[in-house]
Amino acid sequence: MAEENAQQQSYGGGGGSRSSGPGGPGGRPGGPAKRGKRNFVRKKKVCRFCVDKADFIDYKKAEILAPFIQERGKILPRRMTGTCARHQRWLTVAIKRAQNIALLPFAAEL
Amino acid sequence: MEERLYDLIFILRPDTPEADIDKVISTLEHAATEKGGKIDSVNKWGRKRMAYRVQKLREGYFVYMVIRSSHGEVVKELERRLKVSDPVIKYLTVRLDEELKRQDKLKRHRERRAARRPRKTVAPAPATPGAEQAAAPTA
Repeated sequence: MAEENAQQQSYGGGGGSRSSGPGGPGGRPGGPAKRGKRNFVRKKKVCRFCVDKADFIDYKKAEILAPFIQERGKILPRRMTGTCARHQRWLTVAIKRAQNIALLPFAAEL
Repeated sequence: MEERLYDLIFILRPDTPEADIDKVISTLEHAATEKGGKIDSVNKWGRKRMAYRVQKLREGYFVYMVIRSSHGEVVKELERRLKVSDPVIKYLTVRLDEELKRQDKLKRHRERRAARRPRKTVAPAPATPGAEQAAAPTA
């Protein structure tokens, strides 16, 4: 937790010094100075498959695909998971295949 | 025509006796060889919980096999047999060779890039032999 906070602060400071940017989020001059006001910084998400250098995503391994679906069975969007476009494309195909063979649910059962 | 690679997964009723499972597999093998295909491997995953109910069943006996064939007739025949077969509740065939081809391409691409990269790292490398030489007399 402490590490995260430290990271966030450093990010915030960086944003302040880069106030010449074209109206980016948190790029407002004096933004970091006013504490507790719009002082959230998004953590940079990295595509997990790129980290692993995955050349293809196996639809048979449901445990790999499971983190990318919602409780209700929906596929999580890229903006939530940070997956890159190419891997998201492969991922959706893999998830859909897994659904077809009952390794993953289409929708939560109730 | 070039050879194609398929994944075939099918799910049997969980109460199917072991003998019947083997029978289903062997009939599929026969059918495949008859049509000029070849079954590379058969892998019984065993009883697993399914993600949703199929024919009111929550569990199923999963069997996974890899099939090689040069034309789609084999898959057609195998799927027909699976459809007819009573203990089979679900099946899925996926053609994989094109994905593998893509995978190979990416791998080769990455290797080529990796092979190119050392040139950059060679530049600072001469520093280390020098350091070694310097370290050698003292040792």
